[in-house]
Amino acid sequence: MNPSRDEFVQGSPSARRAFYADVRDEDLIVLVQEGQKKAYDELVARYKGRLFAFILRMVKDPTLAEELTQETLIRVYIHAAKYREIAKFSTWVFTIATNLVRNKMRQRSRRPYTLSLNPAPDEDEMPVDPADTRADTTAQVERAELGELINEATARIPEKYRIPFLLREVDQLSYEEIQQVTGLKLGTVRSRINRARNRFRQLIKPMLRNETLLAELEQIEMRAVREKELGQDDNQDDN
Amino acid sequence: MRCNKARDYISQELDAVLPPAATGKLRDHLDACDECRSYREDLALGQRLIAATEPQLPDNFEWKLQLKLNQALQDAAGQTSYRWHEERGDRWAWLRNFGAATAVGLAAVLALAMFFGPLEQAPTPTGSRPAVAASDRRPLFQPGAGGLYRPAAQRMVSAGGETMGRTSGLLDRSWSGTNTGDLRMIQRLRAENQQLKAILLQYQRNTEMMRTRLDTSAAEALDLQHDQ
Repeated sequence: MNPSRDEFVQGSPSARRAFYADVRDEDLIVLVQEGQKKAYDELVARYKGRLFAFILRMVKDPTLAEELTQETLIRVYIHAAKYREIAKFSTWVFTIATNLVRNKMRQRSRRPYTLSLNPAPDEDEMPVDPADTRADTTAQVERAELGELINEATARIPEKYRIPFLLREVDQLSYEEIQQVTGLKLGTVRSRINRARNRFRQLIKPMLRNETLLAELEQIEMRAVREKELGQDDNQDDN
Repeated sequence: MRCNKARDYISQELDAVLPPAATGKLRDHLDACDECRSYREDLALGQRLIAATEPQLPDNFEWKLQLKLNQALQDAAGQTSYRWHEERGDRWAWLRNFGAATAVGLAAVLALAMFFGPLEQAPTPTGSRPAVAASDRRPLFQPGAGGLYRPAAQRMVSAGGETMGRTSGLLDRSWSGTNTGDLRMIQRLRAENQQLKAILLQYQRNTEMMRTRLDTSAAEALDLQHDQ
């Protein structure tokens, strides 16, 4: 589907979303190539959350993650003309994001670091403890705090396993798409996701046996379902 | 089936990519293995945790993105025009700039030289140069007798009570009429002139003698022809 400019609806973001609801990402980027800024806004609305979630769990720093998400989306706009439909749009976007993240992490690793005189145990070997101050599950665990714990756990997965793992778990990319983004073989993608899951399980194991936390998780899920239903109702009202 | 293999299958099963042939084998293993069953539950719970804790972007994200995008587009446009200037500036630009700078520099030097000009002063017997007041400075191209620079025919300098025309440009720069070095140079040039005159006279004499001999031999040759 390729809506013309005459069909284009000027209006609120929800009206725009409704107008573009059935338009594929690959068609939207073609519209961006033709100069339709609203099509780009729709792509931003579709991808900003997924990109931010992926990048934040890679770099663990919210400010940096926001910057890299913006940088990714800016590159999508500036280099829109270079996109060809030989791959899915999502693959192209996540390839850009993955390259930016890798470059940033490489820059970080090159920075000189200081050594502490009081050597701490290797953090990677320590499971995330929900009983510490950052994860006080006896009190009301906020969604953000729980998210921070998950971010911390994912950040401890070695980078080569983490990228395919997050592309699969956070962004729901297929194995073939992950293969295209990372340039790995299909079997390697599968085994790395499996290893990352195993590692992630070890890191969050204390949380998995925590009844309060599991109850909170159920509440969060129920709230999310309710918000989704409300959002759908709003869209129907706009129409 | 070993547990490692079963866990690989569990991961594929969660992603809905496990081949149907392996599904039955996995089910059989899970029926018999509590650990792998627990493993599968943990992975599913981990997926739920990740999905439920998706981080939220700041409210002003799109506004900031728009600002950055505008900036990036401006930068891209600026780079383009910069490149255009670079391409336009040819390889001789430096020479043009150098030539212009040289011309300006020369003009400035000339203007300064014309403004300040060489000083005119009376020759002193001792050869030492007295202090010159600013009022003694004279303009270069003043009409009448006052200007320092006059037509070549009028340019005369006084040296040791004699008067001679200046012919050498070298003398113009440092000539004061009072410097003993200048007088020595005049004497040396005079001596050289005398020597050159003597040499020239000798050449003229030799030439005359050769011409006379040539005429005589030519006449004799003609006479011999007539005799024959």
